[in-house]
Amino acid sequence: MMDQMRLIRQRQSGSRKTTSERGMAIPGSPDTLVAAVHALKVTFERAGTRIFALRGVDLEIAPSEIVALVGESGSGKSVLGLSLLGLLGHNSKPEIEGEIEVVGAQIGSLSEPQLRRLRRESLGAVFQDPMTSLNPTMRIGKQLAEVAGSAEACIDLLRSVGIPDPARRLSAYPFELSGGLRQRVMIAMALAGSPKLIVADEPTTALDVTVQAQILELIRSVRDRFGTSLLLITHDLGVAATVADRVVVMYGGRVVETGRAESLLREPKHPYTRALLRSRATLDASGPRRLTMLRGEGVDSRSEEPGCSFAPRCELAFDGCAVTPELEIAGDHRVACWRAESAPGPEADPLVHAPPVVAVSKGLSSVRINDVAVSFKVGRGGSQGTLKALRGVTLDIEPGGALAIVGESGSGKSTLLRAIAGLAPVASGGVDISGAGKVQMVFQDAGASLTPWMSVEELLEERLIACGVRDRKERHRRILEACDSVGLYQQLLPAKAGQLSGGQRQRAALARAVVVAPEVLLCDEPTSALDVSLAAIVLNLIADLRERLGMTLLFVTHDLAVARVVADHVAVMYLGEIVEVGTTEQILNDPRHPYTKSLIAAVPESGHLPVPLKGEPASPLSIPSGCSFHPRCPSARSSCGETSQILKVSPLSRGHFIRCEPVVEELTWR
Amino acid sequence: MGLFILRRLVSALGVIIALTVVVFILQKISHTSPVHALLGPGASQAAIHAETIKLGLNKPLLTQFLHYLDGLIHGNLGISYRTRRPVTADLIEFLPATVELALVALILAIGLGALFGLLAVRGGAAARIFQVVMLLGASTPGYLVAFAGLVFLYSHLHILPATGEASPSGQFQTGFVIADNLIAGDLGGAWDGLVHAILPALSIALVPAVSIGRVFKSSLEGTLRSDYVRTARAKGLSERRVIAFHAIRNSVSPALTMTGLQLGLMFAGVAVVEEIFAWPGIGYYTAQAIPVSDFPAISGVTLVLGVGYVLINALVDIAQSLADPRIKL
Repeated sequence: MMDQMRLIRQRQSGSRKTTSERGMAIPGSPDTLVAAVHALKVTFERAGTRIFALRGVDLEIAPSEIVALVGESGSGKSVLGLSLLGLLGHNSKPEIEGEIEVVGAQIGSLSEPQLRRLRRESLGAVFQDPMTSLNPTMRIGKQLAEVAGSAEACIDLLRSVGIPDPARRLSAYPFELSGGLRQRVMIAMALAGSPKLIVADEPTTALDVTVQAQILELIRSVRDRFGTSLLLITHDLGVAATVADRVVVMYGGRVVETGRAESLLREPKHPYTRALLRSRATLDASGPRRLTMLRGEGVDSRSEEPGCSFAPRCELAFDGCAVTPELEIAGDHRVACWRAESAPGPEADPLVHAPPVVAVSKGLSSVRINDVAVSFKVGRGGSQGTLKALRGVTLDIEPGGALAIVGESGSGKSTLLRAIAGLAPVASGGVDISGAGKVQMVFQDAGASLTPWMSVEELLEERLIACGVRDRKERHRRILEACDSVGLYQQLLPAKAGQLSGGQRQRAALARAVVVAPEVLLCDEPTSALDVSLAAIVLNLIADLRERLGMTLLFVTHDLAVARVVADHVAVMYLGEIVEVGTTEQILNDPRHPYTKSLIAAVPESGHLPVPLKGEPASPLSIPSGCSFHPRCPSARSSCGETSQILKVSPLSRGHFIRCEPVVEELTWR
Repeated sequence: MGLFILRRLVSALGVIIALTVVVFILQKISHTSPVHALLGPGASQAAIHAETIKLGLNKPLLTQFLHYLDGLIHGNLGISYRTRRPVTADLIEFLPATVELALVALILAIGLGALFGLLAVRGGAAARIFQVVMLLGASTPGYLVAFAGLVFLYSHLHILPATGEASPSGQFQTGFVIADNLIAGDLGGAWDGLVHAILPALSIALVPAVSIGRVFKSSLEGTLRSDYVRTARAKGLSERRVIAFHAIRNSVSPALTMTGLQLGLMFAGVAVVEEIFAWPGIGYYTAQAIPVSDFPAISGVTLVLGVGYVLINALVDIAQSLADPRIKL
């Protein structure tokens, strides 16, 4: 097997022309490829304009190889995935040029029934969102049986993807399963009929980090046990690094770099790959810092100009970039860049540390959260219940401080933010904000938080009028100022949300939040829907604004690496309670609570497979007794299920609080 | 489920009381006297006085209302001023024909609506022609469709009968002609019943069919773009199977809501259409009760229709929860 892989890799290192000649010389190797895409061009027509989704892509997948296809939105990675499945033609009629060979069949020459047969017998697919990718009104068993046949086969499949009590699950509907279990069902479905190739499009993006680690482990074990090849499409280099044998980086409809996962991530050659790696927030950086930003906006897939798509954003670009570079051997991988050799190493761009926060007179703006509890009545009739979203949260945020609130879905982190903003019904306890009325919020989905029929200018002006700015000239001046501070072009002021790109929308949302400088800025996952390079821009922008305006920042995120970048303090939440809180250093470098430890271990980083935490968070409708984390805790004692825990200060360091008696005890005795 | 039925019963009760109040007030402020209508313009003062006392119209308004409610609780809808028979008996005579017509119309509306949606999603010339014909039919007033149908299908082509209801056969007579004939094993009779009903039903069904069809179409289009349909296609299922097993069930809910709404509106169309086709139903009965201010009759019909409406919407809710297991009753 290893020999064969090496041969294939050798084959890939040759230029395309010699590949076929050499391919003849290597016995069997072209036939053993599970998928081979050659010079694939895909063009869509959308609203009268041509969208060049793929501009000539080569891709080869060997048997039982995991290839990660990495890129940002608009890179064409999903289109390439769908082409392999022969699913391109369904919604928009594309022009397809080039060859797609999958399991020995030319996709282009197959009739629709032959294609269906190929998909049924040789291919599997896993899509991003397990919540929407399973038919909500069909039982799991029936959905599986459509591809697996008998009930026994379905049970075997469910068992093979680690679903407990598989026979009982057959009669369950998707909504009765958790997100992680649903994604396991999707993988079971993809595995039915022992496919040669599974295309997994962002299979873990919609999942919590601990569940993501479980699914990544499952993907690896599927390959190891069944020898299935996998094309793993992801925007997350961390995910790619942990499970893939080979990484293919795409930009603007072309492959810009490809090679073995470790070497590509260790020594990226293409300026884009480098930028992607540098702009990524990672756990192992120290302190708040600025992320490296890519120039300009994302790729324009309407452009018909030849040449390297990345050139407009590339710091190494020169006249020669107008000629499209081909993939050439560079070291032990291949890269499509004229100046790959002259690119500076990753260390040439030192991390810029954020300057210290502007001193703000004490007591001007601080947030005091005192034992806040929030619960919602859900369901009706027999299934009525109380969802305890927050169960007594106490926090004190210094003026000008930045607190990241991290946790998985259902932890209550967003509810806490809403309670502070006065948007959630606080049942008991209180929120005290000095300088009240100066709280602003930025949401995850910037597009949805901008009123669609109002222009950016109207949105900003509305906020100024609400704050009592009567003078029209003054309003205009402040609108221009706000645009300037968030880097939004003034030409975009008359535009409505629908006409803006993702990054522009998030800037507009930020401009609205700061046009009247708030004392407290509340951010609810403002970057989780953005591409890596865009997220870097927004995170830097928030840091800039904080520095300039001296705001207090509360930042909700599921991403610990993002917390590292934006915050000086971190609070970890689980099922409506804070389980650990302290400085960013304390929490991320020296975590004490078992849950925090597992969260950090589950983050996919290069070089190690994430350590998954078993199970998924309990429902906030039925919170476990005692310590609510005990059913999943790797170091739970029998008493943990009985006594509920309180936040106690760590004996080692002030300001570090841990909600775990055994841990605090152990630290005391040490 | 039990709780659901209980809630619906309570709401039906509320509807009945509210409707009774409304009809009662309307009758009182309309200044038409049932006594004058009944006895004619030449009646003597004494006769009018005697009739007023006989009908209890001399008593205080509240007493009249409470008296009516008391009868209602005992299943007594009062005596029709016009027919001089219990309203209950009249309704038993006239209601089945209307329900039968409405059911045939409903089935037509759902069938045509489903076809409208499915064909629109499939596309092609046939689909477009069908859409145009349906839209033309729906934008024409129901009575014109009825007349046009009469002229072409009866006078010219002699395919369908003109007016009236077919007659039932067999001993077991419920008033539902098609059902009665089926029970009696008289297939020809049942067919005859259906043939008589088809033209009036069609002229009622066209507008609802297009409404249902449009909602179903857009719902179906949304479903066909969904992630789980993509999953189904990725499994290698045929397009027919994808639509039949994955798309339809996930698309019916908005169409069912629309069906419930339209069925309520259809009863308004029934009155006119029954008049044109001389269909011995409740619309025909009401049309004769209104000019003579026959309050018990009008009230009885209103109550039956109101309860029918509550019942229909309960059925729609049940159908929706059957289609989508996430909807709990």
